[in-house]
Amino acid sequence: MTDAVRTTALTKRFGAQVAVAGVDLIVPAGSFAGLVGPNGAGKTTTLSMITGLLRPDGGQAEIDGLPVWRDTLEVKARIGVLPEGLRLFERLSGRELLIYNGRLRAIPKDEVERRATELLQVMDLAEAADKLVVDYSTGMRKKIGLAAALLHNPSVLFLDEPFEGVDPVSAQTLTEVLRRYTASGSTVIFSSHVMDLVERLCDWVSVMSRGQIVAQGPLAEVRAGRSLNQAFLDLVGRSPEQGDTGLTWLGSGEQR
Amino acid sequence: MSSVAGTVALFGGLKLRLLAGNLRGDLARKLGFAFTLVMAVGLALLGFFLMSLVRLAPADVAADIVVVVFTVFLVSWMIVPLLAFGLDDTLDPSRLSLFPLSMGTLAVGMFTASATGVWPLVTLIVTAGALAGLAAGVGGVLLGILAVLLQFALCLVASRLVTTSLSSALRTRRGRDVLAVAALGAVLVFQLPNLLVNSDVGDPLALLHGAASVLRWTPSGLAAHAIADGGLVGLAELVVLALVVVAVAWLWIKALGRALVTPDVSTQGGTVGKGSGLVDRFLPDGPLAAVVTKELKYIRREPRYRVVWFSSVVVTALLAFSIGNQGDGPSGPGTPIALTAMAGLMIALQLGNAFGIDGRSLWMNAVAIGSERGLSIDLAGRHLANALVAAPLLLAVAVAAGLFTGSPEAIVWALCAGLGTLGVGFGIGSVTSVVIPYTVPERLNAFTGAAPGQGGQAVASSMGALLGIVLLSAPFVVAAVFGALWVCAFAPFYGLLAEVLGRRLGAKIGFARLPEVLAAVSKPT
Repeated sequence: MTDAVRTTALTKRFGAQVAVAGVDLIVPAGSFAGLVGPNGAGKTTTLSMITGLLRPDGGQAEIDGLPVWRDTLEVKARIGVLPEGLRLFERLSGRELLIYNGRLRAIPKDEVERRATELLQVMDLAEAADKLVVDYSTGMRKKIGLAAALLHNPSVLFLDEPFEGVDPVSAQTLTEVLRRYTASGSTVIFSSHVMDLVERLCDWVSVMSRGQIVAQGPLAEVRAGRSLNQAFLDLVGRSPEQGDTGLTWLGSGEQR
Repeated sequence: MSSVAGTVALFGGLKLRLLAGNLRGDLARKLGFAFTLVMAVGLALLGFFLMSLVRLAPADVAADIVVVVFTVFLVSWMIVPLLAFGLDDTLDPSRLSLFPLSMGTLAVGMFTASATGVWPLVTLIVTAGALAGLAAGVGGVLLGILAVLLQFALCLVASRLVTTSLSSALRTRRGRDVLAVAALGAVLVFQLPNLLVNSDVGDPLALLHGAASVLRWTPSGLAAHAIADGGLVGLAELVVLALVVVAVAWLWIKALGRALVTPDVSTQGGTVGKGSGLVDRFLPDGPLAAVVTKELKYIRREPRYRVVWFSSVVVTALLAFSIGNQGDGPSGPGTPIALTAMAGLMIALQLGNAFGIDGRSLWMNAVAIGSERGLSIDLAGRHLANALVAAPLLLAVAVAAGLFTGSPEAIVWALCAGLGTLGVGFGIGSVTSVVIPYTVPERLNAFTGAAPGQGGQAVASSMGALLGIVLLSAPFVVAAVFGALWVCAFAPFYGLLAEVLGRRLGAKIGFARLPEVLAAVSKPT
């Protein structure tokens, strides 16, 4: 089986700060993969470099065996991206956004319109389809963003924190769509720090800490009998006594 | 009271720290700040010097000048921060609403924060220049010092009152949309005196005197007059002024109290039509049609586009007005040609930073564009959409200018020249868009068109584009103005050639540095 994503020694620094320090990420094709790590571990930076949105300082990234920074045309046709921060074309309506996105990728208009209507239906956005994205709520933005990323039927989907700030109902819709998508053999990679969710959805986990991969493999292997949350805390290396010192003033509600 | 002193120190320190924090680690911002500082020091010295020069004028004229200057300061303080809202974190009271601060403490703190900074200091120095320019005798100086301080305090509290009472409306989308367009009105107001002076409406001295005789009774006018008077009348005026300051401050504290507990006005989103428009009927289906459709929608819906289009039209109209005023009557076919070419240039300049308004959303294009050709099509779509709006406008300018100058035979040539500069501008703009891209802030204000720290890029980009367009358009415009009208027949083709070549070059450079372009237009604003 080929890997959907493989990076070797991917590096990025911003000024003096090293954001990503040699990441060797591997995601087998057809997996539902979670990229987990504490805030500032370099998840977003890594995903941006793999999707061609941020130029790495060093190392390689391959998607379906194609080098991202050389076979740009081929790679960009194969990936779908939902970056962090919900940055969308605010002054288009949801429907217009999807249609724009599809036609930009040279899909015929009729076909784009058909897919857009179906996606809006599935995402439960049919009613808001003709409202401007600038007036959408967080959950609606995530859903329209995911719809836009799926529209051209990519073989690998990158989602940065897709469930952050999303209500349970929308989250359920999102997971259903993603499950159906991976069941057909496509690959999803999403970053998150909600361990329960990753444990529930993923069959492959990569754990990042301080700009490096500290563990990756099938979910059961990484967990090794523990809960994923415990495994994560062990891996990211927070010693238990750290929480016990200091903070003696906290609690009991006495005001100074 | 020590707690007041503590609050002053705390908020003053907070503001200084925010200013310093903005500069950390970013060379461009540091340079920008250094530039601001140099400009501020220069303006402060120049302002003080000019104000002290007022002493050379006759006494009544001097007083009139200071009255007008003080009023302009007050009005500017009320308008400018409003348009630049969001540049200063200490201005937004909602950020402080969770801290257990009493209203008085909060008011003292916010007052301190707004008095701390480069521009307040400049204002204080220039205002103090009135002392050197106007005060006579010991009484004049003593009252003058008081008057300057009160005028300064009034500027601050009045500006705070305006921003605070509008802050909840300003946080909604619609409020910001309205304000973005209102910013233009302010620019026009600032241009008005310039126009009036240029058009010799009358004797400038009489004009000054007329304005001052009205403005003299405004609070800032009272301050100015008190300095000139230096006697009991001046003292009485200062008492009135002090009462006004206290009243405005009281209103401001009330507004602050209300702003902290009033939720944002919710915005009801309207729906938009589903029609795909004429574009699809004439363009083949594909990325080009997609970009053109999207750009046309953006020109209609995005307030920043409305602002830039509106300003292009207004600037052209202003130019027409001043050119029309300078000549003695109709001046032949040269004028409409030059004017239409100028209009083409103004419109094309909008695309000197083609990706700036897309900003953080540009990733969506970036993940779809996989080749130089893709980027070239993207640019072509933007040019086409812009040209679809520009062509009728240029026609209108050409016809109006041709009829107005009494040379209707020049209309066709003028339109050709306008289209020529438009094409040249698109070509140059394709290159500047990818070489010197910068973020256009969500909230366009009238004073900077770029994200914090990118002011230098914005100036370099627009100056570069302007220079490039002028140089490349010079051959046909100059020839036409000097009588060789037929040269203009080639202008549209010349423009088209420039557009194609520029777009090719831009796509070549831009595709290679797409991530860098994306980063440059995605700066936080």
